[in-house]
Amino acid sequence: MLLTLDLNDPRPLHEQVADAVRRAIGAGDIAPGDRLPPARDLAHALGVNANTVLRSLRDLRDEGLLEFRRGRGVSVLRRPDGREALRARVRDLLDEAAGYGLTADDVVALVKDLGKDFGKDPSKETA
Amino acid sequence: MTEPHDSSVTGVRARLMAALAAWAVLVAAVLVAVPLAFADRLPDPLATHWGPSGRPDGSMPFAVFVLLAVVWAVIAAIGLGVAARRRNLVRRVTRAWFCAGLAWAGGFMVTTQAVTIAANLDRGHWTRAAGVSWQVAVVVAAPIALGALGWLAGRRGPDVPAAPSGTGPLIDLDPGKRPVWVSTVTARWAALLALVSLAAAVVVAGVALSGRVPGGWSVVVPLALVGVIGTVLSSVSVRVVPEALTVSVGPLRWPSRTVRLERVERAWVEERYPAQVGGWGYRGLPGRATIMIRGGECLVVRYTSGGELGITVDDAATGAALVNALVARRHSSAER
Repeated sequence: MLLTLDLNDPRPLHEQVADAVRRAIGAGDIAPGDRLPPARDLAHALGVNANTVLRSLRDLRDEGLLEFRRGRGVSVLRRPDGREALRARVRDLLDEAAGYGLTADDVVALVKDLGKDFGKDPSKETA
Repeated sequence: MTEPHDSSVTGVRARLMAALAAWAVLVAAVLVAVPLAFADRLPDPLATHWGPSGRPDGSMPFAVFVLLAVVWAVIAAIGLGVAARRRNLVRRVTRAWFCAGLAWAGGFMVTTQAVTIAANLDRGHWTRAAGVSWQVAVVVAAPIALGALGWLAGRRGPDVPAAPSGTGPLIDLDPGKRPVWVSTVTARWAALLALVSLAAAVVVAGVALSGRVPGGWSVVVPLALVGVIGTVLSSVSVRVVPEALTVSVGPLRWPSRTVRLERVERAWVEERYPAQVGGWGYRGLPGRATIMIRGGECLVVRYTSGGELGITVDDAATGAALVNALVARRHSSAER
């Protein structure tokens, strides 16, 4: 399983790890029914404490993405829906926007503007 | 599997199968025919075991002696079965060792039989069989010579260097991100075997302590050993981080080996099977080794020193891609 941590992310580590796992599941890197590598292997690779990883996995279980089974470890229950999957990327976008001095409202306006064109495009093709 | 080199390998494999089958039949025929030919000049039972003094101290009925051919038939059948699998024996080194093994086994059975018959010939009773001394050297040396011939015969033909089946997807490395890859494989049968062995070791040790079974300890040690080895072989974990690649085995993740990425040239994915590398566990010599937990997909890493290490893990393509991307980034940053 490929996981990516953002080195400049100011959020708590367990949120970042949860995000990375969520992204990996969303990308299809690991499919529903598959087992996750043991938490201590993930912790070793990510360079964080095993308890941090366990906390992230518990959060994802509470979201309904993971399932803990006695003796069988942690497995993927379902893929995140669109809203959950986009959440992390929107956060990245907002971070970048802040770098240009743009607020969340500016981004929303931008998204709405693009969304109008986006809605038209497929209809133009089918017509 | 329609690569151009495949047809020549298929040809070699077909010839090899024919040669192995002929060898199997020849040895079996000798093992049956030679004792029958001398049947009226041999005692029944025959002397089949000699003590350190060179005097016979063990015997075997004539019928059983002839039926030793069945042992050979089983060995040969297993060998041919392994050879018949399509994916096996395409590599030259595997083929050479495989042929050496079968040639040695056949040679050992035939020379042992010949020495036994020569010692028993016209002796009337097995206790009067001739002693063996220099014959032991024949039983040791002749099969080794045959094995060497088998090794040479197996080396003939092309080598398919287990075609690197791609390096997986390209991974774009973002400088502000820290990518890591983790993969684990567990062999349930090995874990089960280990558990059963350890449990049996504890039970036998308990019985031996009670003193009711003399010599029980001699069973405890091998059982415990199988248990420990099975435990270590039951799982492997591979972690790739931007600095290094770490391979650990066993539930305690020990022993563990870390290779710094500046020592890595590249990585790729291969299919490897226990029959190709000679079984499970750490197979091969350092520099050409495979950590075989289960057959199939295998991450292979090549060191800048020229050595290779293969580890059977799932999702190896992603791991190989990450290693290659990290190595490439290291090189490009070194050039700057």
